[in-house]
Amino acid sequence: MWTVALPRGEDMSTLPLSQVARVIRSKNAGPLCLTVDLFFPDRPSFERARDSQALRLESLAVLYGLQAGQVRRFDLESILAIKVSMPRRLCAGDPGDGDVYGAQQHGPLLELQV
Amino acid sequence: MSATAALMQSHRPGGERLRVLSASGQLGFGIAGPAFERGLERRPHFIGCDMGSIDPGPFYLGSGQMAAPLAMVRRDLELVLRAARSLQVPLIIGSAGTAGAGPHLQATLDLLREIARECDGSLRLAVVHSDVPRSVLEQAVREGRLRSLEPVQTSLNLPVPGALELKACTHVVAQCGCDTFEAALRTGPDVLLAGRSCDTAIYAALPRLLGYDAGLALHMAKIIECTSLCCEPGGRDAMLAELGPEDFILESMNPSLRATPASVAAHALYEQADPWQVEEPDGTLDLRQARYEALDDRRTRVSGARFTPRSQPTLKVEGATRVGARAVLLAGLADPNLIARLPAALDEVLERVRALLPGAWRMVPHVYGQGAVRPLPARASQEVGLVLEFVAEEAEEARTAAAVFKQNLLHYGYPGRLSTGGNLAFAFTPCEIDAGQSYRFVLYHLLEGVDPADVFRIEVQDWSFQEALA
Repeated sequence: MWTVALPRGEDMSTLPLSQVARVIRSKNAGPLCLTVDLFFPDRPSFERARDSQALRLESLAVLYGLQAGQVRRFDLESILAIKVSMPRRLCAGDPGDGDVYGAQQHGPLLELQV
Repeated sequence: MSATAALMQSHRPGGERLRVLSASGQLGFGIAGPAFERGLERRPHFIGCDMGSIDPGPFYLGSGQMAAPLAMVRRDLELVLRAARSLQVPLIIGSAGTAGAGPHLQATLDLLREIARECDGSLRLAVVHSDVPRSVLEQAVREGRLRSLEPVQTSLNLPVPGALELKACTHVVAQCGCDTFEAALRTGPDVLLAGRSCDTAIYAALPRLLGYDAGLALHMAKIIECTSLCCEPGGRDAMLAELGPEDFILESMNPSLRATPASVAAHALYEQADPWQVEEPDGTLDLRQARYEALDDRRTRVSGARFTPRSQPTLKVEGATRVGARAVLLAGLADPNLIARLPAALDEVLERVRALLPGAWRMVPHVYGQGAVRPLPARASQEVGLVLEFVAEEAEEARTAAAVFKQNLLHYGYPGRLSTGGNLAFAFTPCEIDAGQSYRFVLYHLLEGVDPADVFRIEVQDWSFQEALA
């Protein structure tokens, strides 16, 4: 496994998000908005993701080809979940849209290192 | 006395809890019998079903067709109507026939009538029409009362349509909320059938009318409208909520599904851009103070949601226009040389076909394996799937474009081509298929400054089929 030296001076190995979260799902919130929910099995996993570089607004925006201001993130500590909402690229069902329900837009998150 | 009138007379908050049975989150795709029957054994005070959503895309709203197969819709409707009539409790159905526009409502009404006739029953029906009168819409556009959704930042901006585009909408509906449902319930129906509705109104309106707290009723409604999806594991089985003055208790009617504090709280996130605030036509539901406690390993008690009414109601309106007739071409492609230059190849073939077949048709490529579902970094692959959409005013033109495109792509020559036998693999022929009509949403906006009574029309129908049998 690769290890990276973090600026805080502590060696900490990163893991793909798919091994840290128990649910990684995407879905439309109406035809104009996409929302992603991440659920974590325990507090350390939640905190690892919450504090990661990869899940900062700027990183998420790059991942989905958006501006940082277009992405909103909610940390739901009480239920160990993170929600990310963003605009869809096209209105659901417009010619050229490839995912009417928005249910398969979670892919880029699976391999994120957190 | 009608079922609603009887409930209004006999039930008071603070006495026995109000038992609400959510039978279906998508009526017409099969309500599981065993869980529904277990729900009936609990003697619910009313039964609710959601029949629609904007989720399946613009086609259903645009075309007036149902997403669910008619035979299954009839089967599900018969199940819930017979149950509600035998228990003498109100049946409340929202977003009739998928998109809740006139044709959807009428098709659902026709099925209910057919079933009621077979059951030789009499019943009072309150019907809510959700089609927005064009005059109301046009005036709102003129006065700037039709606006984009909030928060703007996380929504794709759908421009406010102009007069011509509005005119081209085959159907325009608004989601009716609790106030409209309450008005319909005051007419004392046995069955309330509504066109396009807020999912929450189906389950929250009757409790609100009975005097329950609006925040609790709406939170309960928000959770149970998808039946047992809020459980661990999630399911489609009937869900029971028992509402009291201070809290409500959730329980799946499938004994193997557990409503846990974690699973119920997690459900509040589902299909919701903001996990804390839910916008309703008549106010905002705030879930920040919501509490979820396990009652036992299968039931969760929920409390704490707050509702802040809005002085002016805000309605969500939806409308779709026809883009054209659609034909699709399905083919596989397994030559790495061609896959590597695919976008350019499709462009070149398109140019050739345009020269052969001028006209207003368009081609929309979906290249599976190369970013059809979401943007992918370019990478070599051994095999890709092509779904090419051809959209034209007339089906004949779309089909012609697909067929000509297919033949030109099949024998398209390119530098370095080795596979001169043909470029495409067909799973079957004909590989160009009529795919009906294409629609797109042009309206998903907020309509402000209107009286819901000017938008939604409530109609009462009294049906009696007993004489017919006598």
